[in-house]
Amino acid sequence: MRRPALLLAVLLLLVSVVPTPADAQQPKRGGVFRIAEREAPSLDPHLSISFLTHSYVSLSYSQLVRFPNGPEQRSPTDFSIVPDLAEKWTISKDGRVYTFQLRRGVRFHNKPPVNAREMTADDVKYSLERFMAKSAFRTRFEPVTGIEVVDRYTVRVTLKEPYAPFLNHLANPSFCAILPREAEDRFKDFNAPEAVIGTGPFVLKSYDKGVRVVFERNPDYFMKGLPYLDGAVIEITPDAAARVAVLRAGKAELPHIWGWLSPEEAKAVQKTNPELSVTPYLIIGLPYISFRVDQPPFNDVRVRRAVSLAIDRKAWNDALLFGEGCVDAGPVPCALKEWKLDAAKMDAAKAKYLVGYDPVEAKRLLAEAGYAKGLTVPMFHWPGYVVPWRSYYELAADNLGKIGITVELKPEEYGKYSSTTMVGKYDKMAMGPSTPFTEVDDFLFGRFAPELPTNLSHVADAELTRMLIAQRREMDPKKRKQIIDDIQRYLADKAYYVYAPQWPQYVAHPQYVKGFLHHDGYGLGMRLLFTWLDK
Amino acid sequence: MKQYVLRRVALAVPTLFLVSIIVFLLLRLMPGDVATRMVEGHAYAPTLAALRHDLGLDRPMHAQYAEWIGNIVLRGDFGRSYWTRQPILDEFVRRFPVTLELALLTILVSVVIGVLVGIVSAARQDSLSDYVGRVLSIFALSVPYFGLAVVVVVLPAIWFRWTPVWTYVPFTVSPAENLKIMLIPALVFGVTRAGPIMRIMRSSLLDVLRQDYIRTAWSKGLSERRIVLRHALKNALIPVISLVGLQMPLYIGGSVIIEAIFRLPGVGLFFFEALGKLDYPVVQSVNLIIAAMVVCLNLLIDLSYAFLDPRIRY
Repeated sequence: MRRPALLLAVLLLLVSVVPTPADAQQPKRGGVFRIAEREAPSLDPHLSISFLTHSYVSLSYSQLVRFPNGPEQRSPTDFSIVPDLAEKWTISKDGRVYTFQLRRGVRFHNKPPVNAREMTADDVKYSLERFMAKSAFRTRFEPVTGIEVVDRYTVRVTLKEPYAPFLNHLANPSFCAILPREAEDRFKDFNAPEAVIGTGPFVLKSYDKGVRVVFERNPDYFMKGLPYLDGAVIEITPDAAARVAVLRAGKAELPHIWGWLSPEEAKAVQKTNPELSVTPYLIIGLPYISFRVDQPPFNDVRVRRAVSLAIDRKAWNDALLFGEGCVDAGPVPCALKEWKLDAAKMDAAKAKYLVGYDPVEAKRLLAEAGYAKGLTVPMFHWPGYVVPWRSYYELAADNLGKIGITVELKPEEYGKYSSTTMVGKYDKMAMGPSTPFTEVDDFLFGRFAPELPTNLSHVADAELTRMLIAQRREMDPKKRKQIIDDIQRYLADKAYYVYAPQWPQYVAHPQYVKGFLHHDGYGLGMRLLFTWLDK
Repeated sequence: MKQYVLRRVALAVPTLFLVSIIVFLLLRLMPGDVATRMVEGHAYAPTLAALRHDLGLDRPMHAQYAEWIGNIVLRGDFGRSYWTRQPILDEFVRRFPVTLELALLTILVSVVIGVLVGIVSAARQDSLSDYVGRVLSIFALSVPYFGLAVVVVVLPAIWFRWTPVWTYVPFTVSPAENLKIMLIPALVFGVTRAGPIMRIMRSSLLDVLRQDYIRTAWSKGLSERRIVLRHALKNALIPVISLVGLQMPLYIGGSVIIEAIFRLPGVGLFFFEALGKLDYPVVQSVNLIIAAMVVCLNLLIDLSYAFLDPRIRY
């Protein structure tokens, strides 16, 4: 009798000691997450448009609604809407009135002068109105006509017309952090570290300017049991080589606010530090050549088509991007899968002007347009963008040279570039990357609607504008998708912009970092919410 | 002497006035402006104009200059950063000890290395140690300090999983930790700045060693050590001190890159970031303060000649 009992005891002991796969995945609490990154220009989410500002303070602030992260997300570009401070919401049948029911019992961080007061509908009204008054992004909320406090936990937002991008903009961490009014009354704005008082998962504890920013877990965060980390520290590291060096030396978990490495850096790190986790993600991005389509020679569609047919996208992808890039890069970026209509699914005769390579046809089109002997055009650009941008400009010039378009590369100082070329003030042709917007409207209405400074090609196409407005007003996602597909079909052979391949970004961190899933956009707090350290 | 000092101080006023005008104008000549930089690709016209008005950039240039310089002269107010809206002087005072410590350590390293190697080179002219010293000085002159700094940060991280980049700790909090952080940047910067000092030290000492009074010293039967260190070195140091004085702006200027690479929160980094963001008041005010310091240092160096060579009188 004693022997089987002993055997059973030993077996039970073994079972309890040997880790099972389930145990291995069980998140552990504790640890501090270190990030090497440049200093944010300021901390006020409404007064700055810097991705650094928004990523820093996304640890401390919440929004009405947010995008899914960690185990909630289906992909890094899952921009479905999930509750944040708003528990639920309704949209009126005409799509003009949004009523948000707030979570009860959500408290601001326990810092003076707010001192863990409960967040209410007044805070939401104050924050949205402040955003609409002060933020450089405020035109995104241009259709909003009123924000009302219905009761302590209910807010009603009224729009002048249906506006499909509204919830996406509300969920974007660049926009609508919910802030307490008392902090602005005391500190004048939200730039001082003491004024960073939110309802988010981490409390900003200290900020030694130029050195480090220390966040600690918010013990009263409304998602019980989260975050797993005790805290996060941003070690301010201005130099890019130093940021990668601290990752290699184990002094930081992330070499960038989102862990990004360029393909070249990633290949080098993979070779020298195989112990690190280095994963490629297709990100929202869109390298483009823009034209002054309101002026000769690019007011002639044949010339624009010739430019597109001259770009050897496959060769670029193989030579510069290790064959990992997305060749069919625009007008909707590859990573926005929900809205993207692949060129392969379009009429091949039209799609060739989007992704095709045919220098013979390009020369023929140029000759037909009256440029049989070729032409010379400038290409305005900023050479300071990360690798491989400089090669992009040179390859574009080389490809166009082969069909008889002599490109004069016009590098510009950033100040000039951002105040002229980047807002459509240039001559003939320019090249650059697009901001990683999370809402498809920014890539369509923003790039093609007349008179907007983001309409870099100066497109004024009545038929297109009608569709651009229609997709904004269509609240049924399926019907909206159909309009957006139609827009992409319509744009295929217009060549208002010519797109070059988009490369993946690699996310690098040590293997003991678990649950840190990449999600495109300007947030970090929600990514860290589900992150834990297996050590 | 008193008159000389007063005259130099009086001369500093137009110098600093010119510096302030040049920096102010150069910033305005740079394409773009801080308002456009602040709204970047989202430059919707109403916001841009409002921001420009808010920052006072829509006023005439002379009015902007008069307000800035007037506040400094009349109230000692160096203005606020456009981006952080924090007072510039507070930030400068907070960061200055880091840059000062880096500059002092760099000078120490460069002078110790430069003077020692220079003495050996001169005292053992055309020997193997002289050749080694001269090669070292050419090496130090030709290697850019920022390149050496990146190599020192990156290569140990690849080879040994170690890097000399640390989180900055002030000297007042932990002197040992602070020196651990500051020593490698100072060595990197100091070694590259030691090159010219080595060469000047060598040629200056060779000149002095050929003078009559040194020949007299030899004939008196003094030891070589006593002749070189006691009789020749003091006179040979004058051009070295001039050189260190002339290099002063380089020590401050170089700290811009060194601080960025080694994560040191000093004035150089403050200036560098402000320049990148076209933060006009920061660039103008920091420039003016540093220019004033350089003017004062040069005066002090000129006065130190009298101490080294009693024949010099002001």
